[in-house]
Amino acid sequence: MKVVEINDVSKTYHDTEVEVKAVDGVTLSFEKGDFAVVVGPSGSGKTTLLNLIGGLDQPTGGEIIVAGHRLSELRPSELIDFRMEHVGFVFQSYNLIPVLTAAENVGFIMNLQKWPKEKRKARTDELMQSVGLADRHNSRPSQLSGGQQQRVAVARALAPRPEFILADEPTANLDSKSAETLLDIMEKLNREEQMTFIFSTHDIRVMKRARRVITLEDGRVVSDERTNSDG
Amino acid sequence: MITSIAWKNVWRNKTRSLTVIAAVTIGVFAGVFSMAAINSSIVQRIDAAVNEELSHIQVNNNDFRSSSDIRDMIIDPSAVISALEKTEGITEVTGRIIVRGIASTSAGSTGVEITGIDTEKEKQMFTIDRKLIPGTGSYFGSDTKFNTAFIGEKLARELNIIRYILTEEALSGLEAEGVPLTVIEKLRPLEGQRFTTEKKFSAAYSELLSAKELKKYDLKIKETAWSYREGSRIILTFLDMNNNQTGAAFRISGIFRTNNDLFESLTVFVPAAELRQLTGIGEGRFHRIIARLEKDDLTDDVTPVIREALPGYEVMNWKEIQPDLAMIADYINQMYAVFMVLILAALAFGIVNTMLMAVLERTRELGMLAAIGMNRRRVFMMIMLESIFLSIVGGLAGMAVSGIVIAITGRTGINLVRYSEGMEAFGYSAHLYPTIGAEFFVTLTILIVVTGIVSAIYPARKALQLNPVEALRGE
Repeated sequence: MKVVEINDVSKTYHDTEVEVKAVDGVTLSFEKGDFAVVVGPSGSGKTTLLNLIGGLDQPTGGEIIVAGHRLSELRPSELIDFRMEHVGFVFQSYNLIPVLTAAENVGFIMNLQKWPKEKRKARTDELMQSVGLADRHNSRPSQLSGGQQQRVAVARALAPRPEFILADEPTANLDSKSAETLLDIMEKLNREEQMTFIFSTHDIRVMKRARRVITLEDGRVVSDERTNSDG
Repeated sequence: MITSIAWKNVWRNKTRSLTVIAAVTIGVFAGVFSMAAINSSIVQRIDAAVNEELSHIQVNNNDFRSSSDIRDMIIDPSAVISALEKTEGITEVTGRIIVRGIASTSAGSTGVEITGIDTEKEKQMFTIDRKLIPGTGSYFGSDTKFNTAFIGEKLARELNIIRYILTEEALSGLEAEGVPLTVIEKLRPLEGQRFTTEKKFSAAYSELLSAKELKKYDLKIKETAWSYREGSRIILTFLDMNNNQTGAAFRISGIFRTNNDLFESLTVFVPAAELRQLTGIGEGRFHRIIARLEKDDLTDDVTPVIREALPGYEVMNWKEIQPDLAMIADYINQMYAVFMVLILAALAFGIVNTMLMAVLERTRELGMLAAIGMNRRRVFMMIMLESIFLSIVGGLAGMAVSGIVIAITGRTGINLVRYSEGMEAFGYSAHLYPTIGAEFFVTLTILIVVTGIVSAIYPARKALQLNPVEALRGE
C-alpha cells in the first residue's frame, strides 16, 4: 500500500539572484512499512525533499499525495492539521519541549489530537517501554542524555500512529552506542507497528540498516536501491 | 495543556520573569496605594462634611441662603419635618436656627455663624460632640446658669481663648512624646511664662532651638504647650427678629477640633432655646431643617423625592451645598482609571519586551511546534497566556501587598502633619487612613488581564510569522 506518492516534484528557491533547484523532478513512492533512507552529499536536496513530503514546504512543481491528500491543495492551516494527523517528525536536535517531562512530550501530539486521557496514558506507557525509558517518565529533557532524548522524540513521533515518520539526520548528534540503540528501537517499531520510516542521513550506520536507499544528487534521484538489510 | 505549558514557560527564565513580575508588583502597589491614600482623603473629607457640618439634606426657606435674614424662616416647619420623616431612606430630622453675628473677646472679634441646635438630637445625628478636645470642657454641660457655646479650636485661637504656657506637665508631656532632654532643657527658661498668641510663643522658643530641632519638634511643642482656661467667655452679638442689635456673653462649654479650619473658625454652636430667647424666635420655628439618610449613596435618589414633596422650599443635598466635594470625588474616580491605565501601559512595554525575547529565544521550538501540528490559534494562545500569567502574577502580588499595606495603614493612619496647615485649610485631614473599595480590585484585575493580552499581541504575531522550515533551520 502506497503511503506517499511523489510525482515529478520540484522545488526552486529564489532566495538570491541565483535560482536554486533544491529538488528537481523527483518521482518516488513509499510503501507502508518502508525503512528507507535518502542519502546524498550536502546540498543534494535531502532535507528539502523530506520537508516537502512532510508538508512543511510546498513544491514549485509536481504533486505529492499522502494518505489521499494532495498537499498542494491544502491551505496552510489545513497543512498544520495534516502534519498533526499524518506525519511524525524526528529532528536532528531532538527538539523536545524542555518544560515537559519525557512522558508529557510523548503524549503531546495525542493531547493536541484530544485523545482520551486513559488511552493517551496507555499509549505513552507502551512507547516509553518500547524505547527503553519506562523508568524516565518524569525526567525533563535536560535530565536525559542525547540518545535518550532522541528516543523520546521517536516515541513522540510514533505516538499518534501517523502514516509515516520523517527523521532528518536523527543520529547526527549521537555517539555510536546511542545511535545503534536508537536504530535498534526504530527497526523494532518498524517491524512491530508496521511504521514507515523515511530518513535523511549521511550516517553510514543508518544506511546499513535501511532496506531501501535513495540517493540524491543536485536535487535528482540518482539511484533507488532496495536491500535485504536486517542491520 | 496549552495553559500548563504556558505556565511552565513563564518559569523557564526565572530571573527575567521575576524581574517583570516585580516591576508589575511594584507598579500596581504604587498605583493602588496612592489611590487608596488619595481616596481616603476624599472619603474622610466627605464623612467629616456630612457627619460634622452638613448632614445629607438641608431644607431652607427659599431666600435664606442668599439673604441670611433672621426673618427668612421655614414657613411651615412641622409640615416640612413631617414630610421628611415620612420619606423613605431618611433616619433622623432636626431643625436649626442660624444667625450671623460677631464673636468677640477682649483680644479681638470675628464674624461667625451662630447655630442654635437641639443639643441632644444633634448628638445623635452628628459626630461633632466627639470632636471635643480633651481638657477643654464638654459638648454641652449641665450648666444652666449661663448661656453656653461650643466653638472650634481655630475660633478659640483667633479670640485668644487659648494661651500658650510651658508648664512642668507640658515639658513632661514633650519628654513622653520622644522630644530629647537636651531640647527640653533648652525650653526650660520659658517654663511658666504665658503667651497670648501662638505667634509670640513660637517666636520665643524659636530663639532657643536650632533650625533642625525647630523643624523636628515645632508641632509637638505647639500641640503640647497650649492651655485653656475653663469657663472662658465670648460675647456674641447679632440682630434679633425685630432687627435690633442684641447679644450676650456665652461661656465656652468646650472646644472642638475638626480638619476644616473654615468650619472651625466660623461656627458657634449654642442651644437653640438660648438663641430663641435672645432673638425672639418662637418655639418650633427654624431657618433650616436637616435630615440624615441611611447611607450616603441614597443622596441622589432621595433628593428629588423631597424636592417634589416640598415645592415651596430650597432643598439641597450635601453634594449641591459643597459641589467641590462631589466634583473632587467624581474627578478622583476618573483619575483612578487614568492613573492605573498609565501605570499598566508603562508596565506593558516591559512585558512586551520580555515576551519578545522569549519568542525570539524559542524560534526553533516554536518552529518545531508548528511542524508537529500545533496550529496558529494554539501558538497564539500559548504566548498570550504566558503574557497574561506574567501580568496577573505581578498584579495579584501587587494587589496583595497593597491590600496588606492599606489594611495596616488604614488602622494606624499616615501622618502628614508636616503638611497639615495646607491640607486642613481645605478641610482635608492630615492623618490619612487609606481605603479603597473591593470593586476597584475587580476593575484592576480586568485591567491587568487586558494589559497581559495587549502586551502579547506583538510577540504572538512575531511567533505566528515564523516559518517552521526556517525556524528549524535556525538550529
